[in-house]
Amino acid sequence: MEKCLGVISGANIENNFGALCVHRPVYMLPFAGRYRLIDFSLSNMVNQGIKTIAVFTGEKVRSTMDHLEDGKAWDLNRRFNGLFLFPPVSHDLSGRRRGEIPQYYLTKEFFEQAKEQYVFINHPNILAKVDLNLAFKHFRDTDADITLIYKKQQDPFGEYINTHKMNLAEDGSVINIGTNLGTEREFNMYLKMGFLKKEIFIKLVKEAIERGESDNLLETILINRDKYKINTYEFEGHTENIRNLKSFYDANMNLLKKDISRELFYRNGIILTKTKDEPSTLYTESSIVQNSLVANGCVIEGTVENSIIFRGVKIKKGAIVKNSIIMQKSEIQENAAVINSIMDKSGIVGEDVRIAGSMLMPFIVEKKQEIRKD
Amino acid sequence: MRESKVVAMLLAGGQGSRLKTLTKKIAKPAVPFGGKYRIIDFALSNATNSGIDDIGILTQYKPYILNSHIGIGTSWDYDRNMGGLRILPPFTSESGGRWYTGTANAIFENIDFLDEMNPEYVLILSGDHIYKMDYSKLLEAHKEKEANVTIAVMEVPWEDASRFGIVNVDEDNKIVEFEEKPENPKNNMASMGIYMFDWKDLREYLIKDVKNRDSDNDFGKNVLPLMLEEGQKMYAWVFNGYWKDVGTVKSYWDANMDLLDPMNTLDLYDKGWRIYTRTRNLPPQYLARGSVVKNSLVNEGCYIKGTLKNSILFSDVVIEEDAIVIDSVIHSNCLIKKGAKVYRAVISEGMTIEEGQIIGEENSENICLVSEEGISVE
Repeated sequence: MEKCLGVISGANIENNFGALCVHRPVYMLPFAGRYRLIDFSLSNMVNQGIKTIAVFTGEKVRSTMDHLEDGKAWDLNRRFNGLFLFPPVSHDLSGRRRGEIPQYYLTKEFFEQAKEQYVFINHPNILAKVDLNLAFKHFRDTDADITLIYKKQQDPFGEYINTHKMNLAEDGSVINIGTNLGTEREFNMYLKMGFLKKEIFIKLVKEAIERGESDNLLETILINRDKYKINTYEFEGHTENIRNLKSFYDANMNLLKKDISRELFYRNGIILTKTKDEPSTLYTESSIVQNSLVANGCVIEGTVENSIIFRGVKIKKGAIVKNSIIMQKSEIQENAAVINSIMDKSGIVGEDVRIAGSMLMPFIVEKKQEIRKD
Repeated sequence: MRESKVVAMLLAGGQGSRLKTLTKKIAKPAVPFGGKYRIIDFALSNATNSGIDDIGILTQYKPYILNSHIGIGTSWDYDRNMGGLRILPPFTSESGGRWYTGTANAIFENIDFLDEMNPEYVLILSGDHIYKMDYSKLLEAHKEKEANVTIAVMEVPWEDASRFGIVNVDEDNKIVEFEEKPENPKNNMASMGIYMFDWKDLREYLIKDVKNRDSDNDFGKNVLPLMLEEGQKMYAWVFNGYWKDVGTVKSYWDANMDLLDPMNTLDLYDKGWRIYTRTRNLPPQYLARGSVVKNSLVNEGCYIKGTLKNSILFSDVVIEEDAIVIDSVIHSNCLIKKGAKVYRAVISEGMTIEEGQIIGEENSENICLVSEEGISVE
C-alpha cells in the first residue's frame, strides 16, 4: 500500500443535517461515542499501510484542524510523508468553478511530486471497513486504470433513495452510475471510493479543467469511460452511508448490534482518534443501563436505554435517556427525560424537562443549548 | 517555572515485593490502578501539571512495561525539543557496572546528568505513590523560607506513625529532628518521600554520603539526617489531601475501592488537574440488555452482560451473562465466563475465569489475587 496515496474528499452538502452541521462539515460529526466520522476513513487507510494522506477539508475547516492537528493520533505526524491538509484555495478558477476538480487542479504539484504511483480516493461520510490490500491487489492484478468499489445493498424499504447506483455489465465493468430511485430490492451502491493510476488521475483533472465538461471527479471518469480500463470491486461488509439526519441517527443505533459494532470498531484494525484523557465512567448505585454504548468520563446516576453516550456526559438521578445520542459533555439533570433525541456537545436538559422526537425525525438539542423549565 | 529551573528526579525502580504476583513482571510504579492508570501516572501528571519542564526517571527493576508505557513522555506532554523526559537506567562505567544501592545513590550515579542540566533546584519524587500535588507550591514554600531542603509531610493516624519516617518541627515548621520508624513517635507528621533541594547543597551531600562506607545511601536514613546534623536549613511543608503508598495487595485493593466512595478526595474527574496516561484508543464500553452495573468504574472496550457491583474494570474486560463480579478489581483483557462468580478479588491482566468458577468469598476479610501463578489469598 506504500505505493498508494490516500485522498479524502471532504467537501459535501451539509443542508441535510439541520443544526448539527452549521459549524462543522459532515465528516466532523461526532459518532459512536468517541469518534468523528472521518476517523473511520483515516484509520482504515493508516491501519492498512497507506503512509501519505491528503485531506481536502471543505470550507468549514476549523473543527477539522482542531481534530486532526498534525495527524499524531493516526501516526501521521511523520517527517517523511504523513498528513497533508488542503483547505479550499480561493483562486480565480475556483471562484468561477465550484466542485472538487478545481481544488485537485490547484493542488497538482502535490500529486505530481508525490512518489506514490496510485491514488485511493474516498469520501469520509461512507463508513466501510474495506480490506484495501485485497481491493488494491484486484486493481493491480486486473491491470485496471480505475477500480471503483461498490456494495450489493439490500433496500426493501427504499431507505437508500438518492444514493449512487452503479449499473454494471456482466464482466463487472461500469456501464454507468446514476441515482437510485428505489425500484429494486437490491442494487449496487457505489461507495464513492476507488483506486486510480496517478498519471490518469492528473490527466483527467487537467482535461476536465480545459474542457469544462464537469467539475466533479465521478462525472469526469464516466465521461471518459471508453478511453480507460475501468472495473469494479465488490465490498461485502457492512456500510453506513451517512447523508442525512436519519441515516446518521440509524448508523449510531446500528452500533448497538454486536456484529455491526465489532466490524466497524475492530475489522482490519481499531479506529484511532484524538484521545481526551477522561477517567473511566462511574456508574452509581442508582444507575440502570441497558443496551447502550458508553464512552469514558461519564457519571451515570440515571436510566439509559438503547442509546449512545459520548465522553464526559452526566446523567443525573431519576433522569431517563432512551433511543438517543448524547454528545460529549452534555448534562441531563434530575428527573429529566430525553427520548428519540440527538444532543449536540455541551447541551443541558434541565431538571424535570422532557424532550422527545421520533425515530424518523429525532429532536435536536443544539451545541451548548440549555433547555430548562419555566 | 522558567525563571528558576527545577529538575524532577522520579524514583521508579522499586520492586514492591509485598504486592506479590502483581509485580512479578513489572516494577511497582507500572502496576495498574484506578481503571485506566498505572501508579507512576500520578507523579508524572503532577509534574507536568505543576509546570516542571525537565524530568529524569530512574528505573531499575523489570523496566520493560514501564519503559514502553512512558515512551518519550508523549502522554504527559514531555516529548519536547527543549527539556522533557529522560529515562535513566543504571549503567556501567570504566570502574564496572553497579545497581542503584539506595535512593540517594540513584541520584548520585546521575550527577553528570544533573550537572549538565545545571538546575537551581532538584525535586525528588517517588513513582510508588497515589496522590495529586502541586509541586510549584512546594517550590514557593522552599524559596520563601530560603531553605536548603524542604520536605513534604502529611499527618498520618497516630497508630500508623511508627511505620513512617517522622519529622519533628518547631513552631515555624523548621525541622529539628528525624525519627525513622520510631516506636514511640513524638509527632504524627510523616515524610512523604518528596524533597525539594537546592542542587548545590544536594550535590555536596551526595558526594559526602557516598564516601561514608557505613551509609545505606538512603535519603531518609542517611542523607537528610546528616544535613540536619551539619546545620542545613530544613523545613517541612504540610500537604493536605489524598495520599497512598500501596504496599500490600490489601492496601492496593483498598486504594482502588476508595475511588468508588462518593466522598473520596482523589477526584479523577477534576479537569483542572487531569491524570494523564497512555491510552489504548479502544471503542466505548457496551452494557447489554440484562446487565446490572452498580457503583462501579468501567473503562473503554468492556463488554458487560452479567452483574457488576462495587468493582473496577480496566480496559477490554468481558463479563458474560449470569457472571457476577462484586467488590473486585479486574485488570485489562480479562474474560469472566458465563455463571462465574468473583468476590473480593484482584485479577491480573489477561486472565480467564472459567464457566461457573467461583473466586473469593462474599463478606470475607481476605482479598484473593488471581494471576498466572495461581490464586493466593491475603
